[in-house]
Formats: sequence, C-alpha cells, structure tokens
Amino acid sequence: MSADTLLFVITGGLVLGALYALMATGLAVVWTTLGIFNFAHGAFIAAGAYIAWQISSAEASGLGYAAGALGSVVGMFFVGVACYALLVKPFERQPNLVLLSVITTLAGASVLESGIDILWGSRSKQLPRIVDGDVSLAGVTISANEAVLMVFVLVILTVLGLFLRRAPAGRAMRAVAQNRESAQLMGLDVPRLYAIAFGLSAALAAFAGVFVGSIRFMTPTMGSDPLMKALIVVIFGGVARFTSPIFAAFIVGLIEAFATFYAGLYWAPAVLFAIMIVVLIIKPEGLFGKYQRTVQ
Amino acid sequence: MTTPLLELRALAGGYEPVQIFQNVSLTMSADTSIGLFGPNGHGKTTLLRTVSGIIDPWRGDILFQGEQMNRPGERGSRRFRNFNYDAVTRRRMNPKRVARAGLIHVPQGNLLFPEMTVEETLSVAPAASAGRARPKDMLEQVHTLFPRVHERRHHKIRFLSGGERQMVAIGAGLMAAPKLLILDEPTLGLSPKLRHELSAAIRTIKSSGVPLIVVDQDVEFLQSLIDTLYLFDHGSISRKIEQAEMPSHAEIMAMLFGEHPA
Repeated sequence: MSADTLLFVITGGLVLGALYALMATGLAVVWTTLGIFNFAHGAFIAAGAYIAWQISSAEASGLGYAAGALGSVVGMFFVGVACYALLVKPFERQPNLVLLSVITTLAGASVLESGIDILWGSRSKQLPRIVDGDVSLAGVTISANEAVLMVFVLVILTVLGLFLRRAPAGRAMRAVAQNRESAQLMGLDVPRLYAIAFGLSAALAAFAGVFVGSIRFMTPTMGSDPLMKALIVVIFGGVARFTSPIFAAFIVGLIEAFATFYAGLYWAPAVLFAIMIVVLIIKPEGLFGKYQRTVQ
Repeated sequence: MTTPLLELRALAGGYEPVQIFQNVSLTMSADTSIGLFGPNGHGKTTLLRTVSGIIDPWRGDILFQGEQMNRPGERGSRRFRNFNYDAVTRRRMNPKRVARAGLIHVPQGNLLFPEMTVEETLSVAPAASAGRARPKDMLEQVHTLFPRVHERRHHKIRFLSGGERQMVAIGAGLMAAPKLLILDEPTLGLSPKLRHELSAAIRTIKSSGVPLIVVDQDVEFLQSLIDTLYLFDHGSISRKIEQAEMPSHAEIMAMLFGEHPA
C-alpha cells in the first residue's frame, strides 16, 4: 500500500476514533457514576442531531450551525436529566438496578427513536458542514470539517477532564461514584449529582450527534451503530482512568479503518469483535484495567 | 430549658423487611458526649445510619437542635413484597439536610473514595459545613491533629493503611465543621499503638468543644471520653449509665450477658 493510502486510512481512523472517544466518554460518565449502562445513549446521539437540524437547517429555523449545536447540547442536557428521573431514579434503591436499567434505558431508546421518526420523518437529513474546504498539514490533506471536528472533540474532552479533576462539582461527582454512602454523609446532594452526570452524558451525546450529522446522513436510528462501537470501546479499554476510553476509542477507530480497507465494510465489525474477544481473554478488565468500584 | 442537641423519641427502624431496633429514646445536650456500647449485630450501626438519614426510620422522631429531621408519622405499610414502594413513596429523611445541619457521621470501616487523593477527599468534605467555618482553617486543624494526613495528602485513599484511612475519615468529618460528630467504631481493627494515637486525637477533638457520639468496644476508652454511656442490646437501649457510676468492663459484661457462672 502506498504512503498516501496509508495516511488516508490513518486519518480516517483518527476521525472515527475522535467520535468514538466522545461517545464512549459520555457512556463512561454514567457508567462510572451510577454503575449502569445507558442504552439510550445512541438515541441521545440521534436526538441531539435532530434538535441541531431543527435549529440550524435552512429548511427549518435556519439559525446557523453554531446556534444549532449550542441549542442541541443545552436541550439534550435537560433531556438527559428527564431520562434519569423517569428511567433510572424510580429503581435506584432496588438491588437489581443494573438489570432493570438495561430494560428501562432500552425502552427509553425505543421511545426516543420513534418520537424522532414521528416528529421529523424517516427521510434522511444532513447537517451543514462546520467549515468547507480542505486543510493540509505536513503533506496530509484532510477535509477541514474533519480537522475542526477532531480539534473540537479534543477541546471538549480536555475541558471535561479538567472539570472532573478540579471543579468542586466534578470532584463531588467522582466522590459519589466511588462511595455513594460516604458522599451522602458528607452532605453531597447525591440525586442532583446523578442527574448532572446523566445530563452531562446526554450533552456529550448531543455533541457527538452534531458531529456525526455533519459527516453522515441522519436517520432516527443513526445512534445505534455508534452506541455499539462506544460499548466496545468502554469494554475494550476499561474505565480505570478518564483517559482510558479515549485511548481505546482511537485504537478501535484505527482498527476499524484498517479492517474496512483490507477486509471490506461488512467485515469490519467482525474483525473488531474478534480482536476485542482476544483482548478480553488476555486482559479481562480491558486494556487499561477496570475502575475500582468499592464494595459498599 | 435549652433545646437539646439531639433528641430521639421512640425511634424504630431497620432494613426491609426486618426491623432491627425499636423504641430508642435518648436526649443529649450540646455540652456532653455519649457512648454506645453493646454486642455486635444488635443494631448500633443501623441506629446511627438511621439518625444520619442513610436509611429511613419506621417510627418515631429525630430532632436535631430542636428541628425535626424526619417526616413525622409512621411509615406506610409495605405488605406486598414485590411492589416497588420506592417509586410511590417519598423518602422520610434527607441525609444532605442532616449533614448540612451539622450532624456528621463517620461510618464504621469507612472506605472513603478509593481513587481520590487525600487532598481531593478533604476538599469535597466541606460541602456539609454550610459556611460555618472556612475550609482553610479546618484543613489546618486537621493537619495539626493528624500530621500523617498532611504527609500523605497526595496519595490515593486506596494506598493508605487502615489507620491512615480512619484519620482521613475523621479529618473529613471535621472539615464539615460538625456540631455533633458520630464516630462508629473509630478504632476497629487497628493496632494498639495506632489505637492509642487515634484515641488521643479523638480526646483532642472533644476538648475543642465538639460533642461526640462514640461507638466502641473498648470500655476504658469510652470512659475516658464520654459523660453518659448507653448500653445497647437486642435493638434498644437497655441501660443508661452516668460518668460518676461508670462500671468496669467485667461489670458491663455481666449486665449484658448475665453473671459469669462461678
């Protein structure tokens, strides 16, 4: 394979990796804080994209891309909080919360996707690109849209990482994640922090939706494939640190790009799963180890 | 008459569907400290978890500084085992409200936040202080009391020894500027040397004017610390003993388990 093709595949993989990193981090925020997998995350991605379309597209409100992205992120934060209140909170004190929340979030996903279908119809839509044209850097040419997208993802993830590490609310969220009871005894508002975690995760999904919507066509089920990839990323990389799903996302993105190039589009998921299974046989806690949840 | 600091009136509670303690009444004023002593598995910890709002009481009242902390009244019947009562009933206690009122509970065998550093943990703790004290002053106080905590401030909690962890837990309690500090078996599982060190620190906390409720298995330690000792067995207070008539360990054992056969 020539150097050009190689670079082309690698940049494609990195763009995918950036998107997966955004989605997987959204999943990981809920997983590490509440201890559940949010299967509605894919539907959040779709809903975020459609809200952005409604605000930004010339056929609808026509307020431009930035307004669409902002409205979508803020709107999805509240959708996330509502989903937490309806789908998770009623079962919070049940011992089998994990299993119950699988079903309730799947139900939520299905309701959201059908809602999108009813509201906006199933005809494919697309968000406008953030910027047009190409950029060249050190002999590599990629579309400016994808370059901007990757920069945005890195900025968003850095800000989120700093928030969790430095901000009082972020530290409180980590504390609640690690020991709910001690956090309660220290006077932290656990239900509110859970709601914030869910809202934050949905806002990250909205970002992902806005970005995906600008490079692919939007359908009500556009989130299910990225959701599956994000699940692979979270399981593959583990959530030992804030950065582990991010590294794993880039690895998965690159594997997918190379698998697509060599084995074809239809074989890419199979290759991905095969590699994931091999990794899990050798390292059952994921590439970077599992988050140390406490017994209590 | 001044309002008591903490007043429990005929309190009962437990874990669904098992009731663990019943008819617990006690009154403590702001210038005293009390101790709870009794066999393991008789509900001391469950009682304290109820007082701090982790679980809901079934009956009775919890008053802190004259303020009712639980929603009054008896909890509704929970006759149907498979029914999700949490979805239709409101909680009767709010642990955040209790903590912010100044009732700070340092639980038994506190694991804290394993992946956070000591410094981060202590920076989260003033959430409950509700502006009663400046976090910086409190941190200084904690560091003077436990120099080890200062030395280990950049380490993650999970790399600390049991004694150090207990120091951080009590330190985090102090960061909340408590008006009443509940210590549930603070010296559990520690070496005699560490136990000595920790009990000295707890005495310092007491003499700085913080009222305490202490659960411990060491009667001599409790005697040196508290004004009133409550014997707790079979889920209720069986005896109240004032400091003046404090009996020896053997006498207490006799009260709890009957006379030793000769």
